[in-house]
Amino acid sequence: MDCHQTKSNIKHPHDAKRVLLMGNPNVGKSVIFNRLTGLDVVTANYTGTTVSYHEGLIRHQGDQALLIDVPGIYGLNAQSKAEEVAVHMLNDGADLIICVLDATHLERNLHLAFDLQNYAIPIVYVLNLSDVAKRKGIDIDCDLLSKYLNAPVFETVAVKNIGIDLLKDAVFKTHQTTPPLTIEDPYDKSREIADNVTKETDVEIRFIERLSEWCIKPKTGIPILFLVLMLALGIIVGGGKTLRSLLLLPLVNNYYIPFITTLFEGFLPDNLLRNILIGEFGVLIKMIEWPFALILPYVLLFYIVFSFLEDSGYLPRLGVLMDGLFRKIGLPGNNIIPFILGYGCAVPAILGTRASGSHRERVIVVSLIAIAVPCTAQTGAFITLLGDRSIFALIFVYMISFTTIVLTGIVLNRVLKGKSRPLILEIPNLLMPDMRSLGKKIWIKIKHFILEAQVPMFLGILLAALITETGALDVIGTFLEPLVVGWLDLPKEASLSLLLGVVRRELAVMPLLEMNLTTVQLITGSVVALFYLPCISVLFILVKEFKIKIALLIAFSTFIMAFLFGGLIQLLLNLVM
Amino acid sequence: MHLYACKKKQCYILNNCPKDVLLNAIGVRDGLQVSIVTKQPMGGPIVIRIKKREIAIDKSLACMITALAVT
Ligand SMILES: Nc1nc2c(ncn2[C@@H]2O[C@H](COP(=O)(O)OP(=O)(O)OP(=O)(O)O)[C@@H](O)[C@H]2O)c(=O)[nH]1
Ligand SMILES: [Mg+2]
Repeated sequence: MDCHQTKSNIKHPHDAKRVLLMGNPNVGKSVIFNRLTGLDVVTANYTGTTVSYHEGLIRHQGDQALLIDVPGIYGLNAQSKAEEVAVHMLNDGADLIICVLDATHLERNLHLAFDLQNYAIPIVYVLNLSDVAKRKGIDIDCDLLSKYLNAPVFETVAVKNIGIDLLKDAVFKTHQTTPPLTIEDPYDKSREIADNVTKETDVEIRFIERLSEWCIKPKTGIPILFLVLMLALGIIVGGGKTLRSLLLLPLVNNYYIPFITTLFEGFLPDNLLRNILIGEFGVLIKMIEWPFALILPYVLLFYIVFSFLEDSGYLPRLGVLMDGLFRKIGLPGNNIIPFILGYGCAVPAILGTRASGSHRERVIVVSLIAIAVPCTAQTGAFITLLGDRSIFALIFVYMISFTTIVLTGIVLNRVLKGKSRPLILEIPNLLMPDMRSLGKKIWIKIKHFILEAQVPMFLGILLAALITETGALDVIGTFLEPLVVGWLDLPKEASLSLLLGVVRRELAVMPLLEMNLTTVQLITGSVVALFYLPCISVLFILVKEFKIKIALLIAFSTFIMAFLFGGLIQLLLNLVM
Repeated sequence: MHLYACKKKQCYILNNCPKDVLLNAIGVRDGLQVSIVTKQPMGGPIVIRIKKREIAIDKSLACMITALAVT
C-alpha cells in the first residue's frame, strides 16, 4: 500500500556482514547509503528524514554485506522513537558500524561517536560534508582524528561520490574492535579532540552564508519568503498551465483521442461497452486525459520546486522564522515541513511527523493536513477547474482552506491537553542542491505518483463510466437531490463527484469539469471537494499511525465541514453576486 | 542577564544551561562563547551562533540560560 517506507524486502544472506550506518541527524547517512548500495532512499536537508530504517546490500569484489540506514540520533538514551530504533539495532548485534560525522559540526558529532565505542563493535568513521567545511574555512586533520578515535577515518563528499570507494573497501577489511576511550566528561573530551584536530581560518564570507542569515532574520527573511512563494506559485501555476495548454492537451485532443475513438468505432457497435470505453466518461479517454494532461504537469512542477527547497536547507530556516506564528496553532515552527510536504501528498507528510512531534503536535498537524490541505493532484484539478474561469475563484478557495487551517488549529490548541514543546533546532547548512540527486528524487516522486494514482484513478473512472452509462447516476442523483441540488445548488449529476471523491481527492473535482457550471457552482463544488474526505491511502495511514478513533474523528469532521461550508458559501455568494 | 535579553553583535558566555536532553545533545552548555544572530518576533526563538553553527533556542529555554557579556 504505501511505498514511502521501504522496509527490507531483501533476502538476508546468512554469511553477509551486518553493517550499521549511524550518525547524527542530517549528516548525509542516507546519501552514503544510496552510494554504497545503489538504492534510492529518500534524503533531505533537514533533521529526521529517515524515520524508520532501510536495508540494502553492498556488493564489492564478490563479497557482500547488509547495510542498514539507521535514523539519525544525537545520543543513545532512547529519548525519541528514532533513538529507540537505533538502540534496538545495536542490541541486535552488528559486525561493523559506519559512524558518519559532519565535518562542519565535529564537536557535537563526537558525543555519539564515544557512545558507540561502548558496544565492542568495530567502527569506521566517515567525515562527510567536507566540501561544506572547506567552504566555511574549517580544516580537519583526518590522521590526527583517527589517532584520537583509534579507528580509521575517511573523508567524503557523499553527494559527489568522493571518498566512497575507499570507504567501501574498508567495510570489508575492518575487523578490529576499538577499545572504548576512557572518558570522564564526554563534552570536555569532544571539545578537546575537536579543538585539536580542527583549524579554522577566517575565510571571506561567501554569498551563500550571507543568504543563510538573511533567510532567518525577520527583516530580510519575510521579503525572501514572499519572493520564494511568488516564484513557487509562478512556476507551478504558470508553468503548469503552459505545459498543459501548449503541449499535453493538444497531444491528447489532436492525436490520442481521435486515434483511440476511430480505432474502437471501427469494430465496436454503438453499445454500452463502447460508451464505457470511449463515451462521455470513456475509461480509455479519461484515463489518459485526467492524470497525464491535466494533473501531472502540476505534480511534476510542485515536486521540482519542493525538492529544491528541501535540499537547499531553506525549510528549517522558514520554520525558525515562522515559529512565533505557528505557536498560535499549538505547533513549534519546524512543523512547517510536514505541512508543506502535505501540499504534495499527505501520506509522507503524516509519516514525517513521526520524527519530531509529540503526540499532541502530531495530532494537530495531521488533522490540519487531512482536513484542509489539498494535495498536489487536487491542486492541479483546482487550477484546471477554477484557474481557467477566474483566478480569483482559485484564490478564494485557497483562502477558505487557509482560514480553516488557522481556525481549526486554534481550536485544537485549546481543546487538546498539554503544551507544545520548546523549539531547539540546529539550523542546517544552506546548500546548493546537487542536481543529480535532485533529479533522481523528483523522478522517484513522479514514478510514485503514477504508480500509486493509476489504479485508483482507473477504478474511479470505470465506476464513473459504469454509473453514467447504465443510468445508475440518475437514481443516485435523485436520492442525493436534497443535498446536492437543494443545499449545494449544484446540478444533479454532481453527485458523481461525491462518489468518486471517496477514491481520490482529485476525482472529487474532475467530474465538475464537464458540467458547464457557473462560477459560484464551481466554487461550491471545489469547497466540498477540498474538505470532503481524505483519500483512501491517507485513511489507511491514519488508522495505522493513530488510534482508529482519531482516524474516524478526522474523517467525520472533514466530511461534515465539506457540506456545511459548501452550502454556506453557496448561500453567501448567491446573495452577494 | 538571561540569554533571551541579549543584544546582537555582542559575545556572551553561557551559564546555568538547563538539563534539557536535546539541548545538551545539540551541544549547548555552560562555558560556551556565543553570539546572537537574531531574535524572532511574536515570542519566537532566539538564534545563537556557536563557532560556525547556528542554533535556534525557544524563548522559554533561553530565558533560563544566563549569559555573561564578553568584553
Ligand atoms: N554539499 C554536500 N551535501 C551533502 C553531502 N552529504 C549529504 N549532503 C546533503 O545533506 C543533506 C542531508 O543528507 P541525508 O542523507 O538526508 O542525511 P541523513 O543523515 O540521512 O539525515 P536523517 O535521515 O535526517 O538522519 C541532503 O540534502 C544531502 O544532499 C556532502 O558531502 N556534501
Ligand atoms: Mg536519512
